[in-house]
Amino acid sequence: MMIHYRFLLEELRYGGKQVLTFVVCVALSIATLTALNSFRRDIHGSLIDEARALQGGDIIIHAHQPISEELEGTIDTLAQEQDFQQQSTLEFYTVALSEDKDTSLFSSIKAVESSYPFFGTIEIASGRKLGEVLKPGSVVVAQEVLERLDLAVGGLLNIGDVAFEIADVVTFESMRPVSFLTLGPRIFVSMADVDRLGLLGRGSRVEHEILIQLADPANADRLSETLSAVATPRVERVETAKNARSRVKVFFDNLLFFLSCISILTLMLSGIGMQGSLSAILYQKQNVIAVTKAFGASNRYLLIQYLAMVSFMGACGSVIGVIAGYLIKRLFPLLFRDLLPQDVGYAFHPVDALEGIVLGIFVVTVFTLLPLHRLGAVKPVMIFRHETGSEKPGAAPLLAGIICTVFLILLVVRQIDDLKIGIFFVIGLILLIGTVALAASASLWLLKRSTLPTLALRQSAKSLYRPGNASRSIVITLTSAISVLLLIFLLKLNLFATFIESYPENAPNLFCIDIQQDQKDLFQSVVGEEVVMFPVIRARLLSINNTMINAEQERQRKTDNLGREFNLTYRETLLEDEIISDGNSLFGDSKSLPSGVVALSVLDSIAEIGEIGLHDRLRFNIQGVEIDAQVTSIRSRTKSRLYPFFYFVFDSGTLEAAPQTFFAAMHLPKSLIPDMITAITAQLPNVSTINVADMADRFGQLMKRLSVIVTFFASFSIMAGCLILVSTIFATRLDRIKETVYYKVLGADSSIVLRILSYEHAMLAFLSSLMAVLFAEAAAWLICRNVFDIAYHPHWHVAALTVLSSIILLVLIGLASSVGIIRQRPAVYLQQQNSV
Amino acid sequence: MSSPILKAAHVSKHYNIGERRAVVLHNVSLELEPGEFAVISGASGSGKTTLLTILSGLDKPSNGRVWLADEDITDLDENGLAPLRNRLIGFVFQAFHLVPSLTSLENIMFPAELNRDPEASEKASHLLNRVGLWEQRDNRPEQLSGGEKQRVAICRALINNPRLVFADEPTGNLDSENSREVVELLLELQQEFNTTLLLATHSSAITDRADRILSLHDGRLVKNDIRP
Repeated sequence: MMIHYRFLLEELRYGGKQVLTFVVCVALSIATLTALNSFRRDIHGSLIDEARALQGGDIIIHAHQPISEELEGTIDTLAQEQDFQQQSTLEFYTVALSEDKDTSLFSSIKAVESSYPFFGTIEIASGRKLGEVLKPGSVVVAQEVLERLDLAVGGLLNIGDVAFEIADVVTFESMRPVSFLTLGPRIFVSMADVDRLGLLGRGSRVEHEILIQLADPANADRLSETLSAVATPRVERVETAKNARSRVKVFFDNLLFFLSCISILTLMLSGIGMQGSLSAILYQKQNVIAVTKAFGASNRYLLIQYLAMVSFMGACGSVIGVIAGYLIKRLFPLLFRDLLPQDVGYAFHPVDALEGIVLGIFVVTVFTLLPLHRLGAVKPVMIFRHETGSEKPGAAPLLAGIICTVFLILLVVRQIDDLKIGIFFVIGLILLIGTVALAASASLWLLKRSTLPTLALRQSAKSLYRPGNASRSIVITLTSAISVLLLIFLLKLNLFATFIESYPENAPNLFCIDIQQDQKDLFQSVVGEEVVMFPVIRARLLSINNTMINAEQERQRKTDNLGREFNLTYRETLLEDEIISDGNSLFGDSKSLPSGVVALSVLDSIAEIGEIGLHDRLRFNIQGVEIDAQVTSIRSRTKSRLYPFFYFVFDSGTLEAAPQTFFAAMHLPKSLIPDMITAITAQLPNVSTINVADMADRFGQLMKRLSVIVTFFASFSIMAGCLILVSTIFATRLDRIKETVYYKVLGADSSIVLRILSYEHAMLAFLSSLMAVLFAEAAAWLICRNVFDIAYHPHWHVAALTVLSSIILLVLIGLASSVGIIRQRPAVYLQQQNSV
Repeated sequence: MSSPILKAAHVSKHYNIGERRAVVLHNVSLELEPGEFAVISGASGSGKTTLLTILSGLDKPSNGRVWLADEDITDLDENGLAPLRNRLIGFVFQAFHLVPSLTSLENIMFPAELNRDPEASEKASHLLNRVGLWEQRDNRPEQLSGGEKQRVAICRALINNPRLVFADEPTGNLDSENSREVVELLLELQQEFNTTLLLATHSSAITDRADRILSLHDGRLVKNDIRP
C-alpha cells in the first residue's frame, strides 16, 4: 500500500512540539544504554578477554593460609607429568618505614619469584624486567611510596625486620589495573626475603597464591578440576583465569549493573514519554482521521500512514540517540578518571551504533503499539459529535502491557546477564507500578470526595475527572518516575551520611591487628594508654543445625557469606554499642546446654544471612578442632559500622586455649596517627596498623566519584521524567484549552483561569510527588536497614524539595502549554469548534 | 425612552487568509432596547455568528464600536470583559459548550459561583427544577441528550439574571421536537427574567416570533425591522 509522503510531511510539520518531544524521547531512551554497552565492551575487552594478564596465570590456587602439602605435592607431580610451570606469590598488608624510621606507610606487599608474572606486564621505570631488578635484599616500589616516605631509588626502606634497598619504581601492573580498590601502594619483595621479614606469624592475614602456566591453555579446566579434588575444601580455591573472580571485575560488574538499571529506567520513562506524545499527536488529529475515514480510508491505510510517520520519527530519534550515546561516551574518560585501567579504550565502533539503532527500533515498536492501535477507535461520527461515549478498551492495553513486560525482561536479562535478577527487577517494577496505581486511585477518590474551600480549587479538582481524563495514568507515571529517582538520591545521601559526612567523632580511627599473645604488654606500653584488646580466633563455620555450609553457593551471595573464614572472639559482656535483641542474656543459662556444647552469641546481621535463630546449633572448625555451639542470644548494634564488631562471640573460658591473636581499636587525634603507626611498627613490626581515618577519607573520595557517575546517569532519567510531564500535558492540552475558553465565556477573568489551571497541575504534582516521597522513603529505609545495614535518615528536606520542585515544574509546563489561550478572545476557538 | 442595552456603530470584520482579505461584516450599526427579543437571520455564511460574537465581546471588530449597557466594550481587554460577561451577559450556543467535568447542577452554578453568589446552589436547583431536569442534576454533559444539554445551557445563561442573552443557533443541533421545546423555554424564561434576547438563527419559525428582525446578507445588515 502506498505511503502518502505529502500527508506524512504535513502531519510532521503540524505535529510541532509533540513530534519534537517524541524524537527526543526516542533519543534519550537509547543514548545512555548505547554509551554504556559500548563502554561495557571496552571494559570486557580490557579485563575479561585479557583474563590471564589480570590473573597472572592459567590456573590460580588461592588460600589464606599456606597451601597444604597434599596440594603442593600433587602440583609438583603433575607439573612433571604434564610439563607446566608454577610459581608462588604472597600478598599482605603491612606498614613500611622510611630509612630513618620516622615516617610510615600502610603498604601492599607482594612477594614474588623471579619468573613473576607468567602473563601480563609489570612495567618499571628503568624499562627492565621485574625479575632482573628484584633481587634478594631489594624492593621495587610504587611512586607513591617514594613520595609519601620522602625516599628515592637507591634509598633504604624498612619492612619488618629488614632494611631493603629501593631498586626501581613500578609504573604499571596488569594484575592490579586500578589502584582505588587497594588500601596501600605496592611494594614488590623477593620471595627469598619473606622469612627474614619476620612478619608472617601465627594468624597473619596473608594471601597465598600458586600460579600455573600451561603449555596448552585448553587443559586449564581439566587440570583445575583435578587440583580442586585435592584442595582443602573451603580453604584452598582453585580457579582458571577465565572464571576467577577478580575484585576489579566484580567492582565493574556491580557498577555497570547499577548504571544499567538506571539506564533501563531512563528507557522506560522515555518510552512512556514517547507513548504520551504520540497519543497527543493522534488526539489532535482525531478530526483529520475521522474525516479521512468518512471518505473511505480504511484502518489499515491510516495505520500505514501513521506507522510510516512513527518510523520516520523513530529513525530520527535513534540516529540522534546514537550520536548522543557517542557524545556521552566521550565524557567517560573524565567521568571515570582514575577508576579505570589504563588500557581501556573509548572508541565508538559501528557495532555500538548498530546496537543503538536496533534498540531504538524495538523501543519505538513496543511503546507505540497502544497509541497506534487506538487509531481504530476513531469513528467518522466524531466529525459531527465528539462525545461518542466511552468504548471498552478491550484486550489491547493488556496485550500491550504484556509485550512491554516481555521486552523489559529480555532487555534487563541482556543488560545484566542474569535471568533471575532480570525477572526480579521487572517484577519489582510491575509491583511498584501496581501499588502506585492502587494508591493513585485511592488518593484521587479521596480528592473527589473532599470539600475544597475555593471555587478555583474545587474546579481544578473537578477538572481531574473530566471525561477521558488521564489523571490516573499521569499520577501513576509521575509517582513511579519520581519515587525511583528519589530512591536513588536517598540511598546516596544515606550512604554519604553514614560513611563520609558523619564519621562519628569518637569512633575508633586506628585499628591494630595481629598482636601476638606475648606482645600485649609491649603493645600497651608503646600505645601508652589502656587499650581494650579483643582476642581473635580464625575459624570456619561448618554447619547450622547439622546442615553443611555450601561454600560454592555462599560465594554467589552479593552480601557477606557464611563460607568465608570468620574472626571469633570471647568475652563476658556486651560492648558499649550492643544490645540483646533476642534472648535473656549474652550466654543465657550455659549450664543447661548439653555436654560438649558451648554458648554462643550471634550478631543479627549474620543471623539474618544464615537464618540463624535462638537455640540453633552451629559447628565451627577452629584451626583443625571442631566445636559445637548453641545460640544463646542474638545481638544488635546501635552505632555505625565504623565501630569494631564480631559476628560470633563465645563465653570466656571456651576458646582461651585456642591459637589466637589480639585486635585493638583506638581513637587518636588525626594528626597523631602517623606517629603512633610509626612507633608501633618500629617496636612491633608484625602488628598491622590500619589508619581508619585515612581509609575513610579515601573511601569518601571514591564514594564522591561514584556519586558523580550515578548522578550523571540519573540526570538522564530526570530528563526523561520531564519529557513525561511535557508529553502528558500535551496529551490533555486540548481538553484544558476547551475548558479555559468556557470559563472565559462565563465571565472568569485571567486570574481565576490561571489559578484553576495552576491548581490542576499542582494537584497532580502534589499527589504524585507526595506518594513518590512515601514510596521512596519506605524503599530506602528497607534497603538501608536490610541491605546496607546502616542507620536511615529520611532527609525530609530533600523530600520537601522534591514535592516543591515537582509542583513548580508541572505548573510551569502546564501553564506554558495553555497560557496563550488566556489572552486570546474566545471567538476564535468557538468558531473552530463550530466549524468542525 | 430608555437607553439601548446594546449598540453597535459601523462594525466591520475582516480576516486575512494568506494574502486574501475576507470581509465578513460590513459597516453594521444597530441598537437593541431592554427586554427585546431580536433575531439575526440570514443564510449560512452571512455573518450571523460573527456579528453575535462581536456584539457579545467574544470577538473584536476590525472597525466600529460596540456599547453594552452604555459601556464601550470595543477596546476592553479580556479581564475588562470578564465581569461584564459574568453579570450582564448570558450565552447559549449551538454546540452547547457545557464544561465536561461538571455535572448539570455544577454547570449551572458555575457563573453564580464566579460572581460569589452565596445562593448559587439554590438558584441553580430552582432553575433545574424549572426546566424539568432535577433528576439529571448529577449527570455530566456526556450523559445528557442534546435537548437536555441545551436546557442546562439556558439555565446557565440565566442564573446571574443577565440583562442580555446571546443565543447562537440554539436549535441547530436538535431535532424538531426538542427545537420547539427549547425555543418555548427560552422565550418563557426571557419573559420571566425580563432580559433582552438576541438570537442568531435561520429558522423562520423562530424569526416569526421576534420583536425585531435583523437580516444579514453577505455581511451587510439589509433589514432592521421592528414588528408591530
